[in-house]
Amino acid sequence: MQKAKYLFVILIGCLSVACHKLDTPPLGVIAEDQVFTNANAVQAYMANVYAFLPIEDFNYEPHAGFMTGNGGRWQCFYHTDAIDGEMVGPYGGTNDQNAATGFGYWPYDRIRVINVLINQLPAYASNFTPDQVNEWLGEAYFCRAYTYFGLVKRYGGVPIVKNVIDANASIASLQIPRNTEEDVYNFIGSDLDSAFALMKDPGNSAPQGTASKYAAAALKSRTMLYAGTIAKYGATNYVDGPARQKGFTGIPAGDAGKFFQAAYDAAKLVEGHFSLYTGGYPDKVQNYVDVFLKPNNENIFMRQYSLSDPNRNSDNAGPHSWDATMTCRIMTADGLSRAYPTLDFVERFGSLSPRIVDGSGAPVRFNDRADLMQGQEPRLLATVYFPGSTLRGITFDVQRGIYNTFSGSAAQEVNNDLTSPNDAQNTNLWLGGFADVVGGKDVIGRAGVSTNGDDYTRTGFYVRKYVDYNKPTSACGLYQSAQSYIDLRYAEVLLNRAEAAFELGTPAMQADALTDINLLRDRAGAAPATAAMTIDTIRNERCKELAFEHQYWWDIRRWRTADQVLNQRNCYALLPYYVASENKYIFLKQLEPFKRTYNFQKLWYYEPLPGGELTKNPNLFPNNPGY
Amino acid sequence: MKKLFIVLGVVLVTADFSACTKTDNYPGPDSAFQGNIIDSVTGKNLLTETGGIQIEMKQLSWSDNPDPYYIPSKPDGTFEDTRIFSGHYSVIPTQGAFWPVDSIVTDIKGATSHNFTVVPYLEVVNLQSTQAADSLVMTFQLQAPRTNGLPPLMNAVMFVNNTPYVGGGAFIQDFYNQGGAQVTINSTWNSAIAGTTYRTVVHKLQAGWTYYSRIGVRVNDSYQKYDLSDVVKVVMPPGK
Repeated sequence: MQKAKYLFVILIGCLSVACHKLDTPPLGVIAEDQVFTNANAVQAYMANVYAFLPIEDFNYEPHAGFMTGNGGRWQCFYHTDAIDGEMVGPYGGTNDQNAATGFGYWPYDRIRVINVLINQLPAYASNFTPDQVNEWLGEAYFCRAYTYFGLVKRYGGVPIVKNVIDANASIASLQIPRNTEEDVYNFIGSDLDSAFALMKDPGNSAPQGTASKYAAAALKSRTMLYAGTIAKYGATNYVDGPARQKGFTGIPAGDAGKFFQAAYDAAKLVEGHFSLYTGGYPDKVQNYVDVFLKPNNENIFMRQYSLSDPNRNSDNAGPHSWDATMTCRIMTADGLSRAYPTLDFVERFGSLSPRIVDGSGAPVRFNDRADLMQGQEPRLLATVYFPGSTLRGITFDVQRGIYNTFSGSAAQEVNNDLTSPNDAQNTNLWLGGFADVVGGKDVIGRAGVSTNGDDYTRTGFYVRKYVDYNKPTSACGLYQSAQSYIDLRYAEVLLNRAEAAFELGTPAMQADALTDINLLRDRAGAAPATAAMTIDTIRNERCKELAFEHQYWWDIRRWRTADQVLNQRNCYALLPYYVASENKYIFLKQLEPFKRTYNFQKLWYYEPLPGGELTKNPNLFPNNPGY
Repeated sequence: MKKLFIVLGVVLVTADFSACTKTDNYPGPDSAFQGNIIDSVTGKNLLTETGGIQIEMKQLSWSDNPDPYYIPSKPDGTFEDTRIFSGHYSVIPTQGAFWPVDSIVTDIKGATSHNFTVVPYLEVVNLQSTQAADSLVMTFQLQAPRTNGLPPLMNAVMFVNNTPYVGGGAFIQDFYNQGGAQVTINSTWNSAIAGTTYRTVVHKLQAGWTYYSRIGVRVNDSYQKYDLSDVVKVVMPPGK
């Protein structure tokens, strides 16, 4: 009975505690009123937005995405430009590992994070100065436009979500249908207009790791140019299907001019606020190398990296591995390389044939491989490492093999099928590995060419752009590089402007385009273009200037030329050989030794909508044509 | 204590069995679908290659927006898949070198077959092959069953392989790269094309080998697939 008494007391006690209402704010969640009342917290919020911005930087991989938290992110050679013919290397073909059809990018969670700020911050405006609020809102509009651009260039039309959606709403109301491709581009344009209007003129103190007024204008020139070219060239080269008939893929051709004008106007806004970097003159090679390594007034918007980031191997802000994975292992502390610039790319700057083949068709004999670099465009020499050039005190001693004697034409070797009279293997021609020595000479260079694996060049070239020549070898290991990735620079704005102007086509616009191109040519150390310039001149200039910057792939898609450019395409290499009987070197233009073939199917002008999203939202149908 | 463990054991085992009673009661993919893709000009099976045509199937009885399922063609112009779910389907041959056709709606149950008739963009005719030393020359002409609205012709290629499976997806790259294996046309159909006898050649065929060769020609439609000729078997005499 005594026991029952205690039990009674305990029960009463329980009653009194059980009646608390659960209205304490959750301790694990930071609410809007905590973030949007404190400037540091808003900045932290924005940092999170920037961290997930779809910037195709050093770490981006076309088959795997933006690599946040992905341990494979050291492999910088899985580069967009390794599926489009600028480089060959890790990908066995254009759609190897679905590199061409994408990784199912679908960042509506990130769009929601941005929408929260756009929707909520104005209610807390009294905590800040109006300038602060406008700047943050402007940045948010920029980031939202940037994110939608990441979607529209992949899929065409996607659902436009401008507001924070109630997650408890009915399923049917959450299944938002697709907007047309043109609607999305218009939405991006208006967001960037908002960003431009809201942000203040930064003067000369623009923080380039975050968006600025002119970053918004620069991005607008890029996006509107995409829309204009898709309208113009997508009108004749397309895959038909229900999605196209509904405007989800493709933009009416009649609207091309409107978009080109918008691209031109946006690019013009940037004029006078940024300029091409000219530090290091008169050495134009050194100047162009430093465009990507030294702080300068050409950079409009970039992603920065920190060697002290605690999550160094996974965070987007942690260091990257460009130095360790784009040049040769003999110049680095760690890592390996796998992507190599093609001769096709190098010859965008002019054919090398006059330098490597003499009047009779025979290969020119060189005493020193480095001699080939004489007279080449400074921008080219600053973009790729030629055979014979030097990094960190070590020479790219690239050599494919040894000919005992070499007679006849260079042309007979182009197909690289080892059937010419010179090619009798191991009696006149030696190809081999690093340990092989013939007549006291190494058969191949320490920097390649090796066909035993992917780790040494097989095109004769290595990437030079962004490679930090100042760092000692010991500091060039994995996750030891922190040079910024320049996402928007004034050179691109000029190219956007020139292309849009030329497409607009009036004499005044064509003259403007010529001026723009020649600004770039002058800085590059190249001969000026003339009034006989065509659209192909401008496009080629773009490829040269923006090489290895994740641009060309999207360019050949929006120009709708990818199916012609990547049509049973093999890429060429420039392979140096030592001719023993003459103690000379020759350079042969040959198919790159792996003879990988690149093809582009027209349906890849749009990626397929992610299957999981289609399952969740039937209003996304029809999927893009051909899928 | 021991008793407790026994009881607990019995409870757990019972729970184990009772937790797994849900069975997948959907029928398996127990039907088959097969057929021929017939060339309307010759009345025979269309000359194609593995995957030269895709039979696109949408199971309407499963969903309003079914994911398409593809059966690739075989080299002899047939297709077959013996693991198909029974149901109501929309079926269309697509991604091949022929004029677009309409889809059909059909029930598939048990062994179902259906033949599709298509009009190829182009036919390779008067094909002749000549073998000399280490070279193989093929000459041919082109015919277009329908010329109105025919997309521009791109190129004709002589594909060479060392197995009978030869076509746009299977050929020896070194022969292709020789240049003589390809004829670039890049033109809309015209009488000059109709009147031309095209010639392709490859060199450096190896003594003692057997090769298989055929001509493919394609137009710049959405899929850029090849219309193919018959396969010619080439036996190279043994070397000295």
